[in-house]
Amino acid sequence: MATKPLTTEQKQALALFRKRLGGVSKEKHERLKHQVTLRKAIRDFLARQPATIPEIASALARPADEVLWQVMGMKKYGRVREAGDSGWYARYGLIERETEAAAGEV
Amino acid sequence: MIALKTLNRRTDALVVGGGIAGLQAALDLADQGFKALIVERQPSIGGHMIALSKVFPTLDCASCITTPKMSAAVHHPKIELLVNTEVQSLESTGAGQRATVTRQPTYVDNDKCIGCRLCEYACEVEYPDPFEQGLGALRAIAIPFANAIPQVAVLNPAYCTTCGLCARACPTGAIDYTQEAVTFTIDAGAVILATGFSLNSLNLKPQFHAAQSRNIISPLTMERLLAPHAPYGRVLRPSDGKIPQSIAFIHCAGSRDQTLGVPYCSRVCCMYFIKQAMLLSGALPLADLTLYYIDIRAFGKGYEQFYQNARAMGINFVRGKVLRIEPLADGDLLVHVEATEAAEHCYRKVRHDLVVLAQGMVPPSGGPALVPVRRATDGFFDLPEATDPSGTNLPGVFAAGTAAGPKDIVDTITDAGAAAMAAGRYLQRRRRENSAPVGEAGTRRRVHLEPTMDAVGAN
Ligand SMILES: Cc1cc2nc3c(=O)[nH]c(=O)nc-3n(C[C@H](O)[C@H](O)[C@H](O)COP(=O)(O)OP(=O)(O)OC[C@H]3O[C@@H](n4cnc5c(N)ncnc54)[C@H](O)[C@@H]3O)c2cc1C
Ligand code: SF4
Repeated sequence: MATKPLTTEQKQALALFRKRLGGVSKEKHERLKHQVTLRKAIRDFLARQPATIPEIASALARPADEVLWQVMGMKKYGRVREAGDSGWYARYGLIERETEAAAGEV
Repeated sequence: MIALKTLNRRTDALVVGGGIAGLQAALDLADQGFKALIVERQPSIGGHMIALSKVFPTLDCASCITTPKMSAAVHHPKIELLVNTEVQSLESTGAGQRATVTRQPTYVDNDKCIGCRLCEYACEVEYPDPFEQGLGALRAIAIPFANAIPQVAVLNPAYCTTCGLCARACPTGAIDYTQEAVTFTIDAGAVILATGFSLNSLNLKPQFHAAQSRNIISPLTMERLLAPHAPYGRVLRPSDGKIPQSIAFIHCAGSRDQTLGVPYCSRVCCMYFIKQAMLLSGALPLADLTLYYIDIRAFGKGYEQFYQNARAMGINFVRGKVLRIEPLADGDLLVHVEATEAAEHCYRKVRHDLVVLAQGMVPPSGGPALVPVRRATDGFFDLPEATDPSGTNLPGVFAAGTAAGPKDIVDTITDAGAAAMAAGRYLQRRRRENSAPVGEAGTRRRVHLEPTMDAVGAN
C-alpha cells in the first residue's frame, strides 16, 4: 500500500491529538498486541490445513467465541475464506496472496 | 468542547433524527418547498431500518428500500444534513425553537474524504463493530458500514493508538487530528422529533441468564445474521460458529410486563419474529424453528396472512410462558416452558442451539432530555390531542415515528408524512401571521421563515 511520510504539521497534530486523548493507554497497546499475536497463531495453524472454529480454538487454547470474532475480522479484511463445511461447522482456510499489497494486513 | 458561533444556523424545519421517520418527514417538507435540516447523532443516516435484513410483510430487502430514501434526502436541494451531531436541548424563543447541538469530532475532513477506504486498510486496530451488534470487526478508522451515507471515514478515538498510519495512507490529506467537539445552535420555525427507539436490556429477566450465554441474542443481532452483508457471511451462532439447527424465539421478553416497567406491547416483535423464522427456513432448511408466544399480534394489512403462511411452512408456534433458560456447557440452551395450548397446561424442557429474545421497544437511551417536550407515561413523546396525531405540548414541535411509541415501518412513514404536513401547515400559518399588517395591538411577531441555511455568523 502506497504510504507517504507524515509532514511536520501532521506530526504536530498527531502529538496534540495523543495529548488530548491523555496518551495511549497500556490497555489499548495490550489489546492490539493480543490481536496481532492471536491472528499470527491462527494464520500459522490455518497454513497447515483449513479448520473449524472449535478446532482452531482447541489447538490454540483460546475461547471459541474469541477465535470466531478474530477469524471473522480476518475474513472481512481478506486474509481468510470459507473452505466448505465439516459437520455443523464451517471450515476456514487462508487466502493465498501473491503480494501483501492488498487490503488489511492485520 | 468549543462553542463555534460561526456554525450557528437557521432553517424552516429542524428534523431531529435521521431514521426512516426523519428522512420521510424531511423529504415531505422539502417537497413542499420548506428548508429542512436533519440532525443525526450517528455517523450515518438510516436509523434502525438500514440495519434490518428484510421487512415484513413484503420481505423486501431493507437496505434496498432504505438506501434510495437516504440518497434522496442527502441530494435534495432543500435538505441539509448534519451527522455525528446530537440535539442537547430545545427552547422556545418566541420566534420559533432554538436547539443546542453538539457535533462530535470524526478526525476526518468530510469535504476531502473520497471514501476510498485506504485509511481503513492501513489501520491495524479492530474492535467489535457496533453496526454488526459486535459480531464482526471494524477498524479504528473506517467507513461505518457498506451503504452508510455519507460514505466518509470516521476515526474512533476509544481504539486509536495514534500510530499515524491513516494519515500516511490517505491520498487526499483528509485526516484531521485537530478536530474537537463543537457546540452551536439551530434556530427553526418548526421542529420534528424523530428520535426513534432503542431496545431494553437482554438481561432484564435474570431467569433467562442472557449474561451467561453468547447464544442468547437480541433480535437486532438476528437481523444482522440474516442480512445480505452478514458479519459471518451466513447464520452461525456466536459462541463457537456452529450452524444452528434449532432456534427458539421468545416473544414479549421485554414487554407486556409491569415488573420490567414496560406494561405495553412493543407491537412489532410478533411480526419480526415470524419474518426472521421465515427467512431462516430459507437459510437453514433443516433447522427446527420454534416461536414461544402469549398471543400473536398480527394487526396490520396482510399480517394475518403472513402469520398463516409461516404456520403452513412448518414453523412451530408454541403458546405458553417461558419460565427459565438454562445455559448448558456445550453452548446449547434448555428452554423451560409452560405450554398453554392444550386443555391441560404442560411443562416442557426443550433444547435449542440459539435463542432470540424479543426485547421491549423503549425511548432511546442516553439521549438528551429534550426539555420541555412532555413525555407520556411510557416515556415516549406525549401527543396530547387525538385530533392532532403529531403535535406535542409545544406549538411548532411535532413528533414522528417511533419517537412517539412503538410502531412498524408502514405506520412510521405514515406518521412522518402527517408530521411533515402538520409542520408545513404551522409554518405557513406563521408566515401568513408574519406578513399580515401589524394589528391594532401591534401583535405581529417576527419569525424566521425564509432564513438561509448558510452559516449566519456570530449573532
Ligand atoms: C429487530 C427488529 C426488526 C424489525 N423489523 C421490521 C420489519 O420487518 N418491518 C417493519 O415494518 N418494521 C420493523 N421493525 C420496526 C422498525 O425498525 C421501526 O418501525 C423503524 O425503524 C422506526 O424508525 P424511526 O425513524 O422512528 O426510528 P429509528 O430508526 O430509531 O431512528 C431514529 C434516529 O434518531 C437518531 N437520534 C436519536 N436521538 C437523537 C438526538 N438527540 N439527536 C440526533 N439524532 C438522534 C438515532 O440515532 C436514529 O438514527 C423492526 C424493529 C426491530 C427492533
Ligand atoms: S479518510 Fe482518506 S483514506 Fe480514508 S476513506 Fe477518506 S479519503 Fe480514503
